[in-house]
Amino acid sequence: AVNGILLGRVNPQNDGVVEITDSVPLFHSNLALLPSLEIALIMIEEHYGSKGLGIVGYFHANERFDDAELGIVAKNIGDHICRYFPQAAISLLDNKKLEALPMGKDQSPVMQLYIRDASKNWKLAGPDGGSRLVIKEPAANAVLSDYISSEKWQDVVDFDDHLDDIKK
Amino acid sequence: GGGGAWEYLCLVRKLKVRRSEKVLKYGLSILNDPKKRSALGPEEWTLYEQLAIAAMDCQCLDVAKVLVDSRLIKLPDVNSCNLKLQDCIKVLHKKFPESKRVVDASYIKLLLNILANVLPIALCGFILLWSTGRLDCMLLEAKGSWAEAEKAYSSLLEDNPLDQVIHKRRVAMAKAQGNISVAIEWLNKYLEIFMADHDAWRELADIYLSLQMYKQAAFCYEELLLSHPTVPLYHLTYADVLYTLGGLENLQTAKKYYASTIDLTGGKNTRALLGICLCTLAIARLSKGRSKDDKESPELQSLAAKVLEKEYKQRAADKLGLLTSALRSLKI
Repeated sequence: AVNGILLGRVNPQNDGVVEITDSVPLFHSNLALLPSLEIALIMIEEHYGSKGLGIVGYFHANERFDDAELGIVAKNIGDHICRYFPQAAISLLDNKKLEALPMGKDQSPVMQLYIRDASKNWKLAGPDGGSRLVIKEPAANAVLSDYISSEKWQDVVDFDDHLDDIKK
Repeated sequence: GGGGAWEYLCLVRKLKVRRSEKVLKYGLSILNDPKKRSALGPEEWTLYEQLAIAAMDCQCLDVAKVLVDSRLIKLPDVNSCNLKLQDCIKVLHKKFPESKRVVDASYIKLLLNILANVLPIALCGFILLWSTGRLDCMLLEAKGSWAEAEKAYSSLLEDNPLDQVIHKRRVAMAKAQGNISVAIEWLNKYLEIFMADHDAWRELADIYLSLQMYKQAAFCYEELLLSHPTVPLYHLTYADVLYTLGGLENLQTAKKYYASTIDLTGGKNTRALLGICLCTLAIARLSKGRSKDDKESPELQSLAAKVLEKEYKQRAADKLGLLTSALRSLKI
């Protein structure tokens, strides 16, 4: 599994909208261990705070293709993030949508949005109102397809990589 | 051999790393070159097996099938040698129809003759059949034909109940299908027999961590530390697990294991150094209000911080600011 932090801010004109403008990939191993997570969060907050952005959410991708469930580790990290930002959301990668990406012209996001309800349970944000994940740039999925075919993921450096070699 | 490509493949085998895309690319380049291929001689088998597994890992299942089947083409040798064996046995029975206890010199000579000529081929054939059987199972597994693969593995296990690879493939299949509790149960059973398999202990610990069963994961790492006390990775991960568990005693032990990691890695391990800082802060928070005797000296933390700052200054100067502010928020 891999995960990451979503950064952004509340829209100054409309506080019902949270804009996600950046993300930091975190780990690709031992996601359930606290020490690296705590250090990562401190550093991320510091770095983005100076740019006027804050932690607004958490991204998670499951290791099995068939696993579309928000696992316990993801939920707990999401709860942790909510301490920083109560409106935080979790974005779970939809493996099936990602697989279908190069074939279709689907412009909807390849991720599922989860929001915490009043009883602090993580619920899938459905089409029945409530919260929605909207991509600002309509060509985003095309860009993503492009990145996938050009194997751009090889260039991604996450926090695990940094801790293993601080030059990265 | 096949030049640089073959050396790369041997290295991957030796180090047991997973580089399936590259293995497939280089391996196929050797196979497609008839000169390189013939230069391999008997090693061609090893190449076929390695490539078949790499192909399955990359989901190139038709390539894998061709490779697995190619090994079967050579089996007529085994069949002909089986016939030779049967002939020899017939001759023996003819010559010694009743003798069970009498050991004749010529009998021994004949037996040795058979052994010398036929056994090597028979043995290779047996290994070939057995490992090809395993590859066939893996191919079913790679296709996702879980039920068939399970049946095939179980039947292989009947003949080879102590085959570690087959046991572990069954655990892997359970995990791949999402039957985590089954995977845990089988892996535990496996480790009762093969308790020296450190990869299996780590895999079990990983599964426990994904379920946030930290105590059980800690137990796995304790087993690893007992058998491999000088592997820094185990010290480090054990410390991480203890820190995550929390509680004063666990934090104090975690700090000790971060320290031993630093010791074993010559002071260069960033995670361990940061771990010391985190532990010191957490311990201080928990022991607020306790007597002075319980308070720990801050020397270790400031030493760790100094080393971190030096490392970042030297090798990651652009990130030094981040580190300094992180350390600031960790100071008591």
